[in-house]
Amino acid sequence: MSEFVQRKICNGVTFGSITDDRFKIGRLSATLLVPLSRQTAAANALLSCVLTRSCKRYPNFTALSRKLDSLYGAALYPSVRQIGDYQALTIAVSGIDDAYALDGEFVSAELADLLSSIIFEPDVNGGLFKEEDIEQEKRQLLENIDSEYNDKRYYAVKRCIENMCSDELYSIGRFGSRQDVESLKNADVYAAWERLLSDARVELTMLGNTSPDKAYEGFVKYFGSKPRTIDAVEHTEIVPNEVRYVCENQELSQSKLVMGFRCNYDNDDAAALENSLMSAVLGGTPTSKLFLNVREKQSLCYYCVSRVDNNKGIMLIDSGVETENIDKARDAVLEQLTLLKNGDISDEELTNAKLALKNSLMSSLDSLAALQSYYIGGVLRKNQLTPLKAAELTDKISKERIVELANKVQLDTVFTLRGN
Amino acid sequence: MEFTKITNKRMNEEYYRIKHGSGLEIIVYPKKGFNSAYASIGTKFGSIYSKFIFDGKEVTVPDGTAHYLEHKLFESEDGDAFSKYAKVGASANAYTSFDMTCYLFSCTDNFKKSLEILFDLVQSPYFTNETVAKEQGIISQEIKMYDDSPDWRVMMNLFNGLYHNHPINKDIAGSVETIAKITPEILYECYSAYYNLNNMVLAVVGAADPYEVLAIADEKLKPSKKVDTKVIFPDEPYDIVKNYTEQILPVGLPQFELGFKENGADGYATNKELVTTSILLNAFIGESSELYRRLLDEKLINSGFGSEYLEGLGYRSVIFSGESSDPKAAAEMIRDAAEKIHKNGISQSEFELARKTIYGRLAAGFDHKENIASELINGHFTGRKIFESVEAVAKITLNDVNERLEHQLDADNSCLSVVKSK
Repeated sequence: MSEFVQRKICNGVTFGSITDDRFKIGRLSATLLVPLSRQTAAANALLSCVLTRSCKRYPNFTALSRKLDSLYGAALYPSVRQIGDYQALTIAVSGIDDAYALDGEFVSAELADLLSSIIFEPDVNGGLFKEEDIEQEKRQLLENIDSEYNDKRYYAVKRCIENMCSDELYSIGRFGSRQDVESLKNADVYAAWERLLSDARVELTMLGNTSPDKAYEGFVKYFGSKPRTIDAVEHTEIVPNEVRYVCENQELSQSKLVMGFRCNYDNDDAAALENSLMSAVLGGTPTSKLFLNVREKQSLCYYCVSRVDNNKGIMLIDSGVETENIDKARDAVLEQLTLLKNGDISDEELTNAKLALKNSLMSSLDSLAALQSYYIGGVLRKNQLTPLKAAELTDKISKERIVELANKVQLDTVFTLRGN
Repeated sequence: MEFTKITNKRMNEEYYRIKHGSGLEIIVYPKKGFNSAYASIGTKFGSIYSKFIFDGKEVTVPDGTAHYLEHKLFESEDGDAFSKYAKVGASANAYTSFDMTCYLFSCTDNFKKSLEILFDLVQSPYFTNETVAKEQGIISQEIKMYDDSPDWRVMMNLFNGLYHNHPINKDIAGSVETIAKITPEILYECYSAYYNLNNMVLAVVGAADPYEVLAIADEKLKPSKKVDTKVIFPDEPYDIVKNYTEQILPVGLPQFELGFKENGADGYATNKELVTTSILLNAFIGESSELYRRLLDEKLINSGFGSEYLEGLGYRSVIFSGESSDPKAAAEMIRDAAEKIHKNGISQSEFELARKTIYGRLAAGFDHKENIASELINGHFTGRKIFESVEAVAKITLNDVNERLEHQLDADNSCLSVVKSK
């Protein structure tokens, strides 16, 4: 496989590619990044759904789906996620490599073409999308938001963040609020399309066995001439003064305990890696402090996992606990964090966490989806490392650095979803 | 020992099959240029194996035993496997399904040591009253977590609506009551009956060399004498138990599964049958179908909707699942369409599109180590070969699909399972 090669198309638009002959499926994606905003988050999210429903060439859902089926079941899908204080809207197509087409079709060229049609040539008329498309996709997005409540682990994490970051962009969420989605009008979505095409930061990626040059040239044509103004968000340092406790009750067999912490924020990719290792030692692996002590030794929860969001500078520890053990589990988690802060880390704990982190970095090289997610996830950071380079650097991180970073971790919010 | 190389030109793929002297079937599937190796060892012992004849005597075990055994096997006299894997940097896991139990790891370094740990793990059972009792807390919490999962509950309730007697209607992890009855003796007996290398298969996919795997196997595997174990399933009628079942849970949007039960008496489905069913389902209700569009237009499904074919020893069902503000109306539309399709069949153009789609999906499967390993293990237990599916799909005809339809999607033999809030 080749390295991740990045080419600048114009201010704010980058095309990154990896040529790799190991896979039967190629992937092409466009990610539009904008600062999260209450005014636009919902419209942006709905736009990404509306765009993938039809376009001028395939003017309804069934026609577009048939086209995809004829390209050997190619996939076209939107995904909306949050990267720090940014909203990232990705539209991706993936499909079979030309070498495996039964009748010798050039599937990859068609897919690149299709992605451009989807983004740049939607079926719009007089400044509006088709009303039917808006209505359908709005209903589905609302249902999607409603069903986030079904997955209790996901829901508890989401509620912790909403409470912890209530005054920050971060709490807006990837879809905006339910109310915002509900009150969207067709014209809002059209305005979002125009705004994103002219002002969003755009990351294009093409991974697979096909030479990326044609697709690159195609995108140069679409983006090349227009000047763009790219908005950016400044990071705000937040120091929690007192811990916020929030509790909700539901008819559940197992309670959920989510603890939100502020931690080190550093825009540099190498610093993010160090923070990830700190979290891995605490609760990221089956030999971490939380797993071995809170789960295995004390049997206080079924899962108890920590993870950091390096694009925001927060750490979350979430666990599934018996209702009667909520307080005990919370104290036990804090006890392990205190040990970490005091430098109580064995060589074995540190080595195991490093091995686990390196294994995960190196494994990402075997999946185009994982690679795409790796590069897009780190796109806001400076000096982005390749997975290989990151694995090498992991070995050099000292125990002292882990302790230093652990001491920047401060409890902000405890959210409990209390069951029966 | 037999050593065979199997290749497929269409997919440009190959693998090696070794019938090892110890009794273990070893499959090594190198993926050129991969950094990581994924290894999984499986035994044909899952939650539905609750009654069997072993050593001439009939044995019945509490529900949840296979899953409990999986948890306990991860521990041996000298510590648990998680920490051994951690020392060599491998990421490890295990799972129990309805019809098998698998232990797996993935690593980019220290492959030899990781595989040694895996071989030791499945060959050194260590169960005492104390260690068995200790696991009850963790597994009870796992069971409770599943009790709160609408995805899981809606599926188990469906199986209870479809199956009268077949143990597919029992939770894989059992219940807090049944696991309380599990003893070291029961675990040892199941171990002897099913964790015999002659009943097991190892699949290694990715950065792997067949000769290296063979050398480690020669060193670590103790020859197993064949045992005589035979699973017993109760008779299961063709008819369903009930056509509707419902549970109240705190959900934002109702979840549903609609299952169409088939005759499951013929053993495992063949690759050709599976591929034909995939094509049929894609033409019937895939995203490009007329039915899918009508369900969307009527606001009865969203993009989370999907279909699958569930099949194994003694059970076969087509299952549609999704979220809907009106599951009953969604089910009615699907049942009506099922009746119609039996009259009209699939058209040539629908067939061609679906065939291409399924071919592309099968090809995509060869990009993922985990998927390949699971196909290989499944294939060993069911007699299905991994390359048969892509070959079958390239040759299949419309007639095959319409013939297959005669045995599927019987609307009168279907059950709707719903989980909704108060």
